[in-house]
Amino acid sequence: MIEFLQMVLSGIAVGSSYALMGLGMVLIYKASEVPNFVQGEMALLPVFIAYMLLSSYGLPYYIAFPVTLIFAFFLGGILEFAVLRRAKEPNVLGLIIITIGMEMLLLGFVSWKFGADQRAMPFPISSYDSIIIGDIFISTLDMLTLVVALFIMLILFLFFRFSKIGVAMKATQQNENAAALMGIKTNQIRMITWGISAAVGSVAGLLIAPVLMEPYMMWDPMLKGFAGAVVGGMTSLPGAVFGAYIVGVVEHLFGGYVSIEFKSVVAFVVIVLVLCFKPSGLFARHYVKKV
Amino acid sequence: MKKNLLSVFAVMVMILGLVLTASAEEGVTDTEIHIGQWGPQTGPAAPWGAVARGTDAYFKMINAEGGIHGRKLVHHYFDDAYNPAKTLAGVKQLQEDIGMFAYVSGVGTAPGLAVKDYLMERKIPWLGPSAGSRHWIQPPNKYLFNSYPLYLGDAQLLCKYGHETMGFKKFAIAYQNDDYGKQGLEGAQKQLDKYGLKLVEQIPVNVADTDMKPHIMKFKKAEAEAVLLFVGPGHVARLIGTGKAMKFNPQWFSTTTCGDHPLMMAITKGLYAGTISAAFGMMDPGAIGIGNKEDTNNPSLPLLAKYKKEAFDKFAAKEERWGMTFTAGIGYVEPFVEALKRVGRDLTREKVVAEMEKIKNFKGIMGNVSYAPFDPNDPLCRIGQQEVFLVRAEADGTSTILTDWFTTDFIPMEK
Repeated sequence: MIEFLQMVLSGIAVGSSYALMGLGMVLIYKASEVPNFVQGEMALLPVFIAYMLLSSYGLPYYIAFPVTLIFAFFLGGILEFAVLRRAKEPNVLGLIIITIGMEMLLLGFVSWKFGADQRAMPFPISSYDSIIIGDIFISTLDMLTLVVALFIMLILFLFFRFSKIGVAMKATQQNENAAALMGIKTNQIRMITWGISAAVGSVAGLLIAPVLMEPYMMWDPMLKGFAGAVVGGMTSLPGAVFGAYIVGVVEHLFGGYVSIEFKSVVAFVVIVLVLCFKPSGLFARHYVKKV
Repeated sequence: MKKNLLSVFAVMVMILGLVLTASAEEGVTDTEIHIGQWGPQTGPAAPWGAVARGTDAYFKMINAEGGIHGRKLVHHYFDDAYNPAKTLAGVKQLQEDIGMFAYVSGVGTAPGLAVKDYLMERKIPWLGPSAGSRHWIQPPNKYLFNSYPLYLGDAQLLCKYGHETMGFKKFAIAYQNDDYGKQGLEGAQKQLDKYGLKLVEQIPVNVADTDMKPHIMKFKKAEAEAVLLFVGPGHVARLIGTGKAMKFNPQWFSTTTCGDHPLMMAITKGLYAGTISAAFGMMDPGAIGIGNKEDTNNPSLPLLAKYKKEAFDKFAAKEERWGMTFTAGIGYVEPFVEALKRVGRDLTREKVVAEMEKIKNFKGIMGNVSYAPFDPNDPLCRIGQQEVFLVRAEADGTSTILTDWFTTDFIPMEK
C-alpha cells in the first residue's frame, strides 16, 4: 500500500511540471487553434537567460527570475506578432509547421549561444532535499512545483474570471469576430495569450532546471504536457491540468508494476486510448457543429 | 618525323602520369594527409562533440611542430548529431568528394556501425573508435583498430573492487538500454558469478527518461548496497540526486564515460563526491600512487600537461572546457599518430596497418596499447587497450586513485 501511495504521489509531483506545460499549450490552442510545438523552447530560452543572469551577472534570484518571466512574456508575444501573424491564409498544418520551425530556430540558438554541456541551475532550495511523511517521501523541489502549479492555476482562474483582459481573452477564444465587433483588439489579445503561455511554460522550465539543464531539457516535459492536454481536452484549462496528473500517475504505476522499460511511452498509449473512446478529451465539452 | 616523336613523347608522359596517379595513396599528397572524423556537435549527444575538437587541436599542435615527415594533417570533422544516417552520408561525402586517407575516433556505437562496412570494404583504416564496443573487434577487421577499453572491463573491475575490497554482496545496476549499458550488465553478471552472487536488481534506462523515482524505488526495495551506473552523465546526476532525495545512499559506481569528475561534481551540485568510477587514462596510478589525489585541471602526467599547454591553450576555442572528453579525443588517436611517424615518408594504408600491428605497450595519455598481426579468429589482435583503474570523486573535484592498472578479461559475444 505504501508503495502504491508513493507511486501516486511521485506521479502527481512529476505531473505538476507536465501540467504547467499543458496549461501553456491549451492557452495557445484556444487563442490560435494550433498545437504549439515551440512551447518547450519558449521556456528553454528564458531558462538559459535566467542561468546567465545568475551565473554570469551574479544577480539575486528575486531579480533574475522575475526578469526571466518578463523576458518570456515578451518572447511569446514577439513570436506571435513577428512570425505566426505573418502567415498568409494559414491552415492548421501550416501553423504547426511554423511552430516546429520556430522550435528548431530557438533550439539551435540556445545550443549555439550556451553550448551543449549539461549543467544545473543554482536555485534557492536544494533539488535533493525531501519531506518524509511516514514512509512516503516527496522532494522539496517537487513539493514546490506542485504548489506553484496549483497557485498558477488559481491565478489563471481568477484572471479569466475577474480581469478585463482575461474576459476579453475568453471572448476572443470563443468567437473572435464577435469579440472584434465588441471593440476587443483581438490581435493584441492573441499576442498577450502567447506571452502568458510562454511565461507559464518558463515557470515549469525554472523548476526543472535545478536538476539538469541542457538544450533538449524541455522536449520530454513538452511532449508529456501535450499528452496531458490531449487527454484532458485541448480546450479545457482544468482538463489539461488533470490530464497531466493522470499521465504522471499512470506513468509511475506502469513503471512500478508493469515495466520501467516502456514507462516513457505509456503517456502516448493513454493518448491513443482517449482519442479512440473520447476524442474531445476527458474534460472538454464535445463541440458539435450544426449544419 | 618531328610530329611523330612529339606524339610518342606525349603518350609516354600520359602513361607515366597514369602510373604515378595509380600508385599515389588516396588522401595523401606531398604536403598533406587528409583524415576524416564524425561526432555530434548538435543534438542530445552534443557534449561528446568535444572528442572531435580535442583531436582537431591535437592535429593542429602536430602541424605547428612541423607535421609528420613534412606533411600536415588536414582534419575534416563533421557533425552527425549522433544520427547514423547522417554519419553514413557524411563519410560517403568526404570519401567520394575529397578522399580521406583514414578515419579516426568517431563517437558512438550506432553511428560507427553505420559506416563500418563501408570503410572496411574499401580497405580504409579506421583508428580508435570513441566507444568501447565489442563490435569493433568481434569479428576483427584488418583495417579497424580499437583503443577504447571495452565497457565489459569497467563492470568487471567495479564489481571486483566492490566485493573484494569493500565487501558488498548486494549489487544492482541501472543500465542504458543499448550496447553500452548491456555490456555493463553482462560484465557485471559474469564477474559476480565468480563470487556466487547475482544482481539484486537490474533496471534499463531509456535515453529519453527523465524521472528516476521508479528506478530508485526498485533499488530501495531490493536493498542494494552498491549500484552500478552504466548510463550517461545526465542520468547519473538524476539517479544520484533522486536517491539522495529518497534517502537511498548506496555506494555508487560509475564508468569511464562519467570519469570527468569536475564536470560530474558541477552537474550533481557536489553529490558525485564519493562515487567510484573507472578510468582509462589521463593520469597514471603508478606514478601518482594509490591513495593519492590527482587534479585533472592541473595534470601531473607530463604528456597531458604538454597537450594542455600546446594543444588546448593554443588551438581550442575560447569557450572550450578542458576535460576528459576533450583529452580523450587526443588519447584515442595517439597510436595512429605513432604509426604515421613510424611509416616514414612513403605513406600507404597498408604500411600504416603494418606499423599499427607492430605497436606493443604503447603509452600515451591512456593505458598500454598493443596490437598484433591480423588474425580473423583473434579479437584481441585489434583490442588495443585492455586495462582500466578506479578513482573516487572528491568534493573538491579531484580524484583519489584507488587501484593500479587492471587488465580486464575479454568476454566474447554469444553467437
